[in-house]
Amino acid sequence: MAIRFMDPAAVDGVRDYVNNDPEFKLASKYVVADILLGAGDFKCIVKVREGAISEIFLNPTFMDAWGFYIKGSEDAWSKFLQPVPPPWHQGLFGAMIRQILEVGGNLEMAFSYFWAVTRMLDLFRQAQNR
Amino acid sequence: MTRTESVTGKYIYLTVQGVEYRVYFEENGEGIPLVCQHTAGSDGRQWRHLLNDSEVTSLYRVIVFDLPYHGKSLPPESVEWWKEEYQLHKGFLLDFHVEFSRALGLERPVYIGCSMGGHLAPDLALERPDAYRAVIGVEGTAHSGHSTEIWWYHPKVSNDFRFHAMMSMMAPTSPEKYRRETSWEYSQSAPFVFKGDLYYYFAEHDVTKTAKDIDTSRIPVYVMSGEYDPAASPVEGRALSDAIKGSKFTELKGLGHFGMCENYPLFKQYLMPVLREIADKG
Repeated sequence: MAIRFMDPAAVDGVRDYVNNDPEFKLASKYVVADILLGAGDFKCIVKVREGAISEIFLNPTFMDAWGFYIKGSEDAWSKFLQPVPPPWHQGLFGAMIRQILEVGGNLEMAFSYFWAVTRMLDLFRQAQNR
Repeated sequence: MTRTESVTGKYIYLTVQGVEYRVYFEENGEGIPLVCQHTAGSDGRQWRHLLNDSEVTSLYRVIVFDLPYHGKSLPPESVEWWKEEYQLHKGFLLDFHVEFSRALGLERPVYIGCSMGGHLAPDLALERPDAYRAVIGVEGTAHSGHSTEIWWYHPKVSNDFRFHAMMSMMAPTSPEKYRRETSWEYSQSAPFVFKGDLYYYFAEHDVTKTAKDIDTSRIPVYVMSGEYDPAASPVEGRALSDAIKGSKFTELKGLGHFGMCENYPLFKQYLMPVLREIADKG
């Protein structure tokens, strides 16, 4: 399964879909964060700036900075992004408990911005299945 | 016509371990007392659907309280609680429940609790077996292992974290309005309470070696676990039930960590046979 938020042909549409969500606008109003997402060997950095995703930067190098990361296998993301995910894949925190997804780096930032992050992932799921 | 509920609320003064507490509780119905324990870091509002279910309240006197420091039950007046780190202890929970039942004159009530309340079910069955008619542990396990709890009470992490962490503990098929409501309640506890409650949940509750000593001929034990619960899965729930000879296990298909408030109609399908079975035994 191609992950749309990492697909060059789809990533701008995913960004716009997230940015059009009224809840994400509220949740990210005070957020300034660069979030590294990893799915197997694929990576991107989502840049959130005060109410919107300014950029989803595909294929970053080791020189590109980020604040915290969310990583999992391609299989984990594939299940996470299903319209009705299987048990423990329905949300980030539950997936963390079961070590399906790993969050690392600046955890203080990740947990401070948890609303924006989790809403963004919910919208990634919606965008995946449109 | 104005809609009202027949649920009534009241305050009662209880002395537990030498400290007086002003405790808020709600009740509805007539019959066998059914005492409901909320989860860590939340309050009795989680049980509002059960309180209002006439099929239940025709059989049971449903009673829901807010533990001290939770919901409308304030910290005690006689303690300078702001000088102590809040921690919920098993001994307090056990004594509190027995004193609550004594004060209300409840004769061998049925106990039901979720999450930390689910943990408390086998603790009550083990340590206060004659005080209850039966215990129902929802999302309880024998032991929850260890966890880093600092993020539940961190000066730079707001209540938003609790809200949205709890959102992911529920089934994706549960109605969004009730998932949001459940998380709303989580966002409203005093900042340090959830972390303090988890002391009992993670550090003190452990029946891995003692569950086998629970005598279900004295006190029937029911264990229920939600399919989507990442904290206390059906695997762990079944293991707890297997360790308690004679206990009964129910997997809550399509539910997560908060069945009674995330999707009550579905939760009721699993709970009602248990409540009828207990009632039939008299």
